[in-house]
Amino acid sequence: MTLAPDAVARPTIPELIDEATVEAIAGEAWVALVGEDEVLVPLPADLPAETLSAWVDVVGPWTGSVVLTTGRQTAADLTRALLGQAAPELLDHEDVADAFGEIANVVGGNVKAALPGPSTLGLPQVGEAPDVRNPADVCRLEVLWRGQPLVVSVQGALPALSTPHPNPPHPNGASL
Amino acid sequence: MKILVADDSRVMRQIVIRTLRQAGYDDHDIVEAEDGRDAYDKVQAENPDLVLSDWNMPNMTGLECLQALRSAGSGVPFGFVTSEGSQEMRDKASAAGALFLIAKPFNEETFRENLDGVIA
Repeated sequence: MTLAPDAVARPTIPELIDEATVEAIAGEAWVALVGEDEVLVPLPADLPAETLSAWVDVVGPWTGSVVLTTGRQTAADLTRALLGQAAPELLDHEDVADAFGEIANVVGGNVKAALPGPSTLGLPQVGEAPDVRNPADVCRLEVLWRGQPLVVSVQGALPALSTPHPNPPHPNGASL
Repeated sequence: MKILVADDSRVMRQIVIRTLRQAGYDDHDIVEAEDGRDAYDKVQAENPDLVLSDWNMPNMTGLECLQALRSAGSGVPFGFVTSEGSQEMRDKASAAGALFLIAKPFNEETFRENLDGVIA
């Protein structure tokens, strides 16, 4: 039997990084960006129905995404914490996308540095999280920030999905 | 002196500016640029004494901006503030003429370590 070259050469993420390393990276980013007293508590909890994700893609010997997902209100609270006194009274989506995306960028950049290279880092994206392609190629960290759940998922992009989006448009054009 | 802060994230520009102040560099003029292309143009127009630039930006990366500046004859002191601090990137930054590379996340101490001697 001959395996495809990718199956032989490509390591999965649990072979490359563990939860403790991701937790240390995220914790350091939180202290530096969000605030000196801001800690992430490694406890699992259910995410609320309304979530927002921010992620960066890593392309190299390991290819995938570093995805942060939390409740929309928590993402807004994070934005206020990052902006500090510069936070406007009313946040718009652009502020939240910018701040949450930048946290994902910093966490993703440091995860990338812990992985074998050379690899490249994409620009931050914000929206609905990319689908998990291969459950064996995921390192998932569940934490609480100010008592609210947040998930950091380092997830492989392979194999490619047969459909580009998990929620294709409804046949009648209505949004699901 | 005048410091140009280039980052496509407005939030990160504010954090960089805040950290500069916390590090004690609080009496300098700050100019902001939102990508590498904007930074290149503003170096020409504003003649800053130092550029603090993100690496990964749309339109023109920080590295491309630095290379374009050096090709155009600008010797403006240039340092990176970026989410990636691998040795490979530090080598590339140094080869292109950058004075330093500060990896995010950073704090005021990191800024002082890299900027003392660069900022008067």
